[in-house]
Amino acid sequence: MAEFFNTQWPLIGISLSAGLILLAQQWRTTLIGLFFNYLFVAAFLAQPQFIKPDLTLLGMAISTTVLVKLIAGFSAVLILAVTALTFSREYDADALDEFSLAELRRAARRAQRKQLVAPLRFADFVVPIWALILAAIASFILPRLYPIGSEEVDFAWYWLTLTGIFTIVTANDLLKLGLGLLVCVSSIDLLYTAIASTVQVFPLAMLGLTTIVLSLSVSYLSGLMYGRLKTLELNELYKR
Amino acid sequence: MLYLLIIFFPTAMAAGLFLLRAQNMPSISGGMLAVIVQIALVLQLPVDAPVRLLGLTLTIDPLGRLVMLTILGVALFSYVVTFFIAHGENFVPVSLLIIGITNATVLLMQEPFVASLLMVSSGLLAILAIVDLPIGSTVLVERSPLITALHYLVLVLLSGFAMYMAYVLLTIYWPTEQNGQGSPAHLIMALLIVGFGMRLAIFPFQSWLIEVTEYSAPMVSVLIITALNSTGLLFLIATFQFFPVIVSENAHGMRMLLYLGAATMILASLFGLASPHLRRTPSYLIVANSGLMLFGVASASSTGLAGAIFEMFNQMIAVLIIFVSIALLERPDGRPVVTIRRDLLWRWPLAGSGFIGGLLLLLGMPPFSSFTSKLLIYNAAARISPTFVVLLGVGSLLMLAAIARLLYERLLGAAEELPTEEMPILLATQEIERFSDRRLLSEPVGLSVVLFILLGVCCVIGLYPQILLTMIDDVIRGLTFVRTAS
Repeated sequence: MAEFFNTQWPLIGISLSAGLILLAQQWRTTLIGLFFNYLFVAAFLAQPQFIKPDLTLLGMAISTTVLVKLIAGFSAVLILAVTALTFSREYDADALDEFSLAELRRAARRAQRKQLVAPLRFADFVVPIWALILAAIASFILPRLYPIGSEEVDFAWYWLTLTGIFTIVTANDLLKLGLGLLVCVSSIDLLYTAIASTVQVFPLAMLGLTTIVLSLSVSYLSGLMYGRLKTLELNELYKR
Repeated sequence: MLYLLIIFFPTAMAAGLFLLRAQNMPSISGGMLAVIVQIALVLQLPVDAPVRLLGLTLTIDPLGRLVMLTILGVALFSYVVTFFIAHGENFVPVSLLIIGITNATVLLMQEPFVASLLMVSSGLLAILAIVDLPIGSTVLVERSPLITALHYLVLVLLSGFAMYMAYVLLTIYWPTEQNGQGSPAHLIMALLIVGFGMRLAIFPFQSWLIEVTEYSAPMVSVLIITALNSTGLLFLIATFQFFPVIVSENAHGMRMLLYLGAATMILASLFGLASPHLRRTPSYLIVANSGLMLFGVASASSTGLAGAIFEMFNQMIAVLIIFVSIALLERPDGRPVVTIRRDLLWRWPLAGSGFIGGLLLLLGMPPFSSFTSKLLIYNAAARISPTFVVLLGVGSLLMLAAIARLLYERLLGAAEELPTEEMPILLATQEIERFSDRRLLSEPVGLSVVLFILLGVCCVIGLYPQILLTMIDDVIRGLTFVRTAS
């Protein structure tokens, strides 16, 4: 058992951090989950059977590819963290007509009221918990039905894909939906790096760029939505 | 150098024009200039002469070049239109960025990993255009464009995810029953169907296109459908070309694609028939047409493929004509916004005629060029099975019915009488109680003339289709998967 933990700690880390993203409701927790997810994915890929280190940094042997992935991942986390902290794309009150101003005031009142009356309820976790159980079962079965790489690689990418998709499906706010999309991108990144016979620089650079552009898009939409509705909750967006 | 210029010049211009975005005239003029320079650069590109750069192969065939030129032509015309019609503040810079990425995608078709990620990036950029507000707008972003952008974001990402996963599986592909394991050919096909189905708005993934056309500015819809969807179709053909094993090992999968194409055509036409709406019906007809193009590609025959590629060009022009006409038809005419307008042809005769022409071009009415392309696809269908001819025939009839209903309900209704005489202001009448004045602007004649020239060009190509078909046939002759399938 101890040996399993010693050798498979990156895989355990990937599982726990992706599970945390799926289960948690607060943006602080989910962003911490995403941060550790990138860290554990990098640790998983840094194993010698996937990529050989070609760089020494602070006394640690590390691969440039893994370093690039870490930088892209942390940039995405940083962009979303800054967005979550500041959110708003504030409208210039002088430039708006009276109907728009009234609507903004109404949205702000509604959001404030909601914050006051919405405590954390166990019912909110029922669907994510079942989704997590389903993802776990599927991640054990699918590698046997459709094996692509080694057992560990298959478990890792299936797990990331499924938790990512379930996060998108169960997300109740825009930021969490964006995290689900980022986890999906992370899963294809992991699969490509782990199984490609020769890892090409350009596709990896493009994956990094896609991660950053995606987090910027989510951030921009969050800003617009918060500026309009004073909340990031998706059910407010769909209210007519 | 030329390749790099084609990719990065629009990006650099976009950055410059972003700074000028609040000034309408310089921004649009700069965009037009950038597109004209881009057209000149594309014309200089050597055809079928691959270049290695940063470990990637950049190349272009005559078909890719024609697609790039058509997209640039559409973009140029869109910029001309924005002189007359309200558009988003960031439309020019965002569209230039999308053009740059689309060009890169066409040049990098031989690198499926990179091309699929570039398509995701261009989709993410399109989101900025969807939620864009006009310059100096005094209103908030509506909920509907936000919802549309959100749906589009998720679909673009999932589409890219499915495509990328399919290419990863293709890199480790093994033939059937090797090492005691079944081939992943079926899984690859399923992923490609989902990935390209979302990108091309094939049933049941069509909802994003309906939302985009309904809630974003008309020129944004034109850009997304012509630049992004057409590149998607080209990429699907390139995928079959570079990985012919998908076609040869997937007889059932290809059959399923044929049924999916026919089903898309019928169902989308039915939806279009059910809801006569100025924007929604044409977008359902575009979805139906995408189904027909998918059918042509999935037939993996030279006639079907020629028809699909020919139809792609026709659709690009038809979409441009339809959405420019919609933008002109939707201009304020003094009636309250909530009024359902049923006499648009009499109110805006030039735009109304352009709209009808665009719809007929999409339908494939002779003598338009789309008649030839549809005939080719029907020919391919007849060679596979008469059932498909019946299915496509039903689809075409439903398209015709949807167009007829839309025209009857929105364009050809009895002309409303204009107020004859201004009523005298009565005592104690408040400003809010008075009807607003009918302000009937004149139609931009120059713009309408260009619309009719485009329709005329389609008629000429329809009468002499060999102009385009010879080039398309040359390209198809080199496609491996067509030979494999036949």
